[in-house]
Amino acid sequence: MVTDRTAPVETAILAAEVEGLLEPAEADGVFRDTRECGGALLLAALLLISPPTPRPKTDVR
Amino acid sequence: MTGGHGDPGLLDHMVEASLGWLDGARGSFRLPPDVTTDADPNLTLKPLGELAELSQLIGAVHPREEIRRTARGLFAFAWNETRDGELFAELIRGEPFATYPVELYGVFARAGLRHAEADELVRTTTRLRGWRVAREDHTRTLGVLNAERRIGLRQHADFASVLALTGLGRLPEPWALDRKAAYGITHDVFHLTDWGRDRQRLSPELAGYLRLWLPSWLENWLEEQLWDLVGELLAVTACLPKAPYDPVAWQRLAGAQAADGSVPEMGAAPGSGDPDEMFTACYHSTLVTAFAATLARIAADEAEAGPRGGDPVLVGGRTPGESESAP
Amino acid sequence: MIADAATGVALALRGEGDPYALSGMLRHEDALTPAAVRVLGADALAPYAVEHRAAPAGVDDEAVVRQALMAYPPGDGASEVSLWSYRGLVEAAHAFLPGDGRPWPPAPEAGTAWVGDSPWPKLSHRVSQLAALALPGLASGLAEQLAARTDDLSRGFVRAVRRRDWLQAAGVGRWLARLPDVPGTLGLDSGLAFVHQMGGADPRVALHVAAARRFYGRGG
Repeated sequence: MVTDRTAPVETAILAAEVEGLLEPAEADGVFRDTRECGGALLLAALLLISPPTPRPKTDVR
Repeated sequence: MTGGHGDPGLLDHMVEASLGWLDGARGSFRLPPDVTTDADPNLTLKPLGELAELSQLIGAVHPREEIRRTARGLFAFAWNETRDGELFAELIRGEPFATYPVELYGVFARAGLRHAEADELVRTTTRLRGWRVAREDHTRTLGVLNAERRIGLRQHADFASVLALTGLGRLPEPWALDRKAAYGITHDVFHLTDWGRDRQRLSPELAGYLRLWLPSWLENWLEEQLWDLVGELLAVTACLPKAPYDPVAWQRLAGAQAADGSVPEMGAAPGSGDPDEMFTACYHSTLVTAFAATLARIAADEAEAGPRGGDPVLVGGRTPGESESAP
Repeated sequence: MIADAATGVALALRGEGDPYALSGMLRHEDALTPAAVRVLGADALAPYAVEHRAAPAGVDDEAVVRQALMAYPPGDGASEVSLWSYRGLVEAAHAFLPGDGRPWPPAPEAGTAWVGDSPWPKLSHRVSQLAALALPGLASGLAEQLAARTDDLSRGFVRAVRRRDWLQAAGVGRWLARLPDVPGTLGLDSGLAFVHQMGGADPRVALHVAAARRFYGRGG
């Protein structure tokens, strides 16, 4: 980020930084899924050919 | 997602490899002696029911004879494990108000495999007012309704009205979807189309919705490497009219399939080598892969040949002599 | 600095805060001002695109923009994003600044082949980098081409929200707000509101959502 206003301005470096800021790489995806809470899991004794038993997951990749 | 006619060579190889692994895993599908009492149904009846559902379909509709033969062998094995349906009579006697024995029995009843006592029991239990009490999961209710239809029972609720309440019927914002909702949508489609046999039941509105948003969901869950959901989304894609074929997604799912034909549920297969752990981690995704590749293969054939609207295999659901394949 | 400026622009687009003046926010004397203006691109002038503004742009604003255009022209082999973004700033200067008679630097030619060629996830990411061009009257040729890929951009919005890439979602959503025929089932209005709630702490997200609302009436 261009934040430091007191730094000596080096044009070439700044130009490269500007290009970088214009075209940042795509951020990594964050996949965090809904957690199950309460007795719902116990009630759903069998999920026949239906969603597999949800696994608690906080996957930050 | 692009058009195109698919890659029959790749698809058939994936089905063959999957079925090969499943065939070798018969021991793990075998039901334990305490299956109707203490065993965890999620680790016993659920895998066998899925094996039956999908091997029946593949055995009926796959264009390749040797693949059909292997699939029919697995379906016959599953029926044999139920002791020619005796299992269902026992399950219903033990848990008369549970839906799962009915759902499971429907898989076999659809193929003409009946058990007289189970038939009488379900006629009684599904007539009760209590059977018609709304269940908390509408997608699951669709499965129950489909089972009733397969067995020839009166459906306890109106299919279209229940569908309208589901994650598919509501046409939710496609970005507001968690994993459970995604599995819900795939299963709404499977129950509605009778697992891809009756694809014209998908209304133009629902098909249009799915055609628009499936590519995004596929991309997301490919990135997460949740292979069973990827397979299910590809199966749903193959249920669309003029089904699109996404070569990249198929290549990536093929890449997740191990040399032995197994497909892990997520990421890479467990490295422990423990057979039970391997089975639990892989059986579902492997089945789904075989199922999805079969539907995609049929869709590719149709794209090649033009629509085969009146195909009895797909509409009527039975091939001649199919029931003879069971012992 | 860019974040502060983006916040200032977003405030102005929402009609909050003091009347907007680019040169008041990013001072001419500040060595980093040209870089900041170049990165913001056309968005540096977005508040001047609002109709019936209380305070028009002044000569100081022109000087700041001119300085940025002089300092950071796209070099040889500049990326499409750099070319388009520069072009956007030139177009915005023509459209929203009164002009003191001196000519602006020429707008560089920027290609559109990528609009047709890119797979939709890549297209969506690139379009989000060009979110500042989603302003009235700007880059109308690009807008026409993008309209042909409205469904794909909508898919990109879905993908971005699901992977919690709020900046990309806001940028693509802002472009979708400009395009006709966005699929109704996308839920763009509630989608932009959702992205704002979830990712609005990033001033650029807030800016894109504010622009979608102000100029195209989307996002609730």
